[in-house]
Amino acid sequence: MRISTSWGAQQAVNQMLDRQYQLSQTQLALGNGKAIQTPSDNPAAAARAVDVSSASAQNDQYTRNINSATTRLSTEETALTSAGNILDRIRSITLEGVNGTQTDESRQSIATELRQTLNQLVALGNSKDGQGEYIFAGSRTTTQPFTIDGLSVSYGGDQTQRMVAAAAGLQVATGDSGDDVFMSIRGGNGTFVTTAGATNTGSAVVGGTSVTDATQWDGGNYTVNFTSATTYEIHDAADPTGTPLSTGTYTGTSGTISFKGAQLNVTGTPAAGDSFSVGPSSSQDVFSTIAGIINAFEAPGGGAAMNNQVNAQLQNLDQAATSLLNTRTKIGARMNTLDQQSDIGSDVKLSYDSTLSDLTELDYASAASKYTQQQTALDAAQQAYVKMQNLSLFNYLK
Amino acid sequence: MADLLSTGVSGLLASQVGLSTVGHNISNVNTAGYTRQTTTFNARTPEYNGGYYVGQGADAVSVQRAYSQFLTQSMWSANSGQSRASQYATLTASVNNIVSGSANLQTALDGFFGAVSDVANAPVDTASRQALLGKASTLVSTFKSLSSQFQQLDQSTNTQISTAVDSINALTKTISDLNGQIQQGYAGGAVPNDLLDSRDQAISQLSQLVGVNVTQNDNHMVTVTVGNGLSLVNGTDSAKLSTAPNQYDSSRLEVTGPGGSVISSQLGSGSLGATFDFRTNVLDPARNQLGRAAIAMTDAFNQQHAQGIDLNGDAGGNFFTIANPAVFNSTANKGTGSIAATVSDVSRLDASDYVMRFDGTNWSATTTAGVTVPMTGTGTATDPFKVGGLSMVVSAGAVAGDSFQIQATRNAASSMSVAISDTNKIAASGPLAATKGSANTGKATLGGLTVTNVADPAFNTPASIVFTSPTTYTINGVGPNTYADGDTITGNGWTLKLSGVPAANDTFTVKPAGTASGDNGNALALANVASKGVLDNGVTTVGKSYSQLIAQVGTAGAQANTALDAQQSILDQATAAQQSLSGVNMDEEAANLLRFQQAYSASAQVITTANTIFQSLLSAVHG
Repeated sequence: MRISTSWGAQQAVNQMLDRQYQLSQTQLALGNGKAIQTPSDNPAAAARAVDVSSASAQNDQYTRNINSATTRLSTEETALTSAGNILDRIRSITLEGVNGTQTDESRQSIATELRQTLNQLVALGNSKDGQGEYIFAGSRTTTQPFTIDGLSVSYGGDQTQRMVAAAAGLQVATGDSGDDVFMSIRGGNGTFVTTAGATNTGSAVVGGTSVTDATQWDGGNYTVNFTSATTYEIHDAADPTGTPLSTGTYTGTSGTISFKGAQLNVTGTPAAGDSFSVGPSSSQDVFSTIAGIINAFEAPGGGAAMNNQVNAQLQNLDQAATSLLNTRTKIGARMNTLDQQSDIGSDVKLSYDSTLSDLTELDYASAASKYTQQQTALDAAQQAYVKMQNLSLFNYLK
Repeated sequence: MADLLSTGVSGLLASQVGLSTVGHNISNVNTAGYTRQTTTFNARTPEYNGGYYVGQGADAVSVQRAYSQFLTQSMWSANSGQSRASQYATLTASVNNIVSGSANLQTALDGFFGAVSDVANAPVDTASRQALLGKASTLVSTFKSLSSQFQQLDQSTNTQISTAVDSINALTKTISDLNGQIQQGYAGGAVPNDLLDSRDQAISQLSQLVGVNVTQNDNHMVTVTVGNGLSLVNGTDSAKLSTAPNQYDSSRLEVTGPGGSVISSQLGSGSLGATFDFRTNVLDPARNQLGRAAIAMTDAFNQQHAQGIDLNGDAGGNFFTIANPAVFNSTANKGTGSIAATVSDVSRLDASDYVMRFDGTNWSATTTAGVTVPMTGTGTATDPFKVGGLSMVVSAGAVAGDSFQIQATRNAASSMSVAISDTNKIAASGPLAATKGSANTGKATLGGLTVTNVADPAFNTPASIVFTSPTTYTINGVGPNTYADGDTITGNGWTLKLSGVPAANDTFTVKPAGTASGDNGNALALANVASKGVLDNGVTTVGKSYSQLIAQVGTAGAQANTALDAQQSILDQATAAQQSLSGVNMDEEAANLLRFQQAYSASAQVITTANTIFQSLLSAVHG
């Protein structure tokens, strides 16, 4: 076969150009470490890399969300721990206050201390997070939720809980509204409340109350009327003078009164005509509870009326402490969830990173060896070209 | 006696022609399109000299090209194919470079939705809100930057088209002129080798621009046709191609034949055909896909944003704005009708352009490629035509034959902008708030409140849920409905989940939230738009539609590169075969040079001998 001299030379040049191009492509890849320079190098991997890096960015965002939520929950936890300590303190000084040895003056000084703790508790309710938002205000995080006027505390927030996206489809609450934590606390023992009649003259005091049979308790309003120091009648509160629902006897200075699955522990000696009303618990905020104790201590005289009042409020205080504890448990559970998600997130991140590196990052070992091969090939093509150019019959025509 | 002197001279002359041809070959070793020439010799008619003939020397009778019509034609065709593949690959590579460049839409989307999440984490923090607006404008400028790079590429195809058409016209003129010169060249009876080479070379150049058919005529002229038989060169006449704006979209050029008819789609192979192919099959789909992502982003985000409440207590307005689909009237329209198009259903929006035609009574819709698409509606404002997620309202005045092109997505990305600049107008807060009655005695607590339809007419009416018993409830007195622990209560455009057992007379209220600045309900929902399927009947997310674009462009690029490799090797083979016959080989020419040089020297020796003989005779006579 004939070879055209110029085409032969052109082909040799083309080959060198090709090899030079391949070499430069490998060099480019070695330079920037990318396996895919443009999507056409590997369309499927390029598209997948976009998806994976997006999922990875989303995952990083979840991690940031979790960090911000954890910070907010920790702030809340700290505030609630302090609030719990304050409630404990209130409880212990209240118990001191009901001691029979106290006088009007000493009760007054206890009440003064209680007023201070009340203010402390309100200040805790107005805690702010790192961004300056009130954490117990529901969604009205820019206005102070609790305002105190005398002994009366009002709540200006709402009941909304802020949520955070911790993972796809998983939202975790990053707070609790002040309403949940401080305001909507069930009074009494959580099921019913007992109130001593305002005109009681005996020394009977209702201490602990409990529900002995939840199936019998129907949530109605009842009155316990002492017809003498030892006998009582249970009336429907709506019909205090009608036929009693049941009657019972009370002996000595302590005993229990049971009806409709409810049980009242009574101490002291009632007078005929004394009464106690029993009704379903409604919510009472912790501030009113403390205010109730303060009012009871500040009223002169002490005695059974004060004891009944303080006992009732102590029950409410226990409910408030329990509610705080429950909230802290919930916070703990949420933080666990967030921690778990954060761990999952870092695992997922590792897997995304490795997928992404498989898809887009250069395998240096193979690229380097390819580079050497291509260099050798280019070198060979160049040498062959020079040798071939020297082969001409004209060299001998001298 | 035969004339030895003239025999010797004939040898000298013949060798001179041989040497000239060799010299010509050597001189043209690097001339593109040159065909190697060879000299043929004949022995002169002998002289009868009594009982025998005496030879009278040699004549150079012709100089011929080493030429094969078949091989040359194959090379033209391979040339068209390679040039097409090369142009296609170059253009497709530039699209690939655009999407692999610094303006990465996915990064911008991730950054934007990250900023939305940050607002959800700190809804009243002005810095977070400002950062969100910043990321929004980064996102928009990324959309715009990609779109404008695509537009520039589109404009550069216009330049390439008009340059190619100018070159085609110049080449067809050259070919028709050469036709005339060749015919004259043959008039003397000899073959005008170098003119034929020039004409072949001009045809070869033309075949790089456009696929041509070449036929040889008896009068030594060629006829060159393209596409469906449109004649570019016929004898000494050449037809002139022109460019004209597209009948709908005047920003792009089409090629028209001498009669003014558009022949863009008939150009087949060659770089000009590749330019049109690229525009239709790579660039337009990529631009439409990008525009579709921009529309989907705008629509989905705006819809969710409208469900929220901003810091001023107002319902969220548009967060992004984007232009309506572009409608182009055909320049051939005779009526005064017009079409107004809007995107009515993003989930059905595809990357097609549509042409609406009026036949005097009915409208019909096709894709730009001419495929009929189903259409519903009557074209009035109350019952618009619906095609592929678009709504079109037709205004009267169209006459039969009028047509309109609708580019729903082509330039959408470049028209996108951020609608709000005031951080207070970011609607991060949910529209509703649920409240538990303060006198509730039951243990039911509020779960999640979810907005399902902000457009419900009674959406903003406060709803009071009253439990008539632990298992039944009424909403604003309507009911009773039954409830079990953990049930979801459905209201007018919202649902509320409760947990725990309520007591009789417990109440819950759902009402507009007002200015609850610290709520992040809608911000959470906005962040969720990132993973919400909005396109392709609610399957494809905005981000996914971008990775589809990458796959689409990447695949086109990979195919173009493969095709280029294949076409290149076809061209190499065709060229090698043609050059094997017609190319100049220097060694061969060197050998021929020696041959003719020796023949020349020998002929000169013959003349010397004739002289010597004559001198011998003279000296014999003088004695």
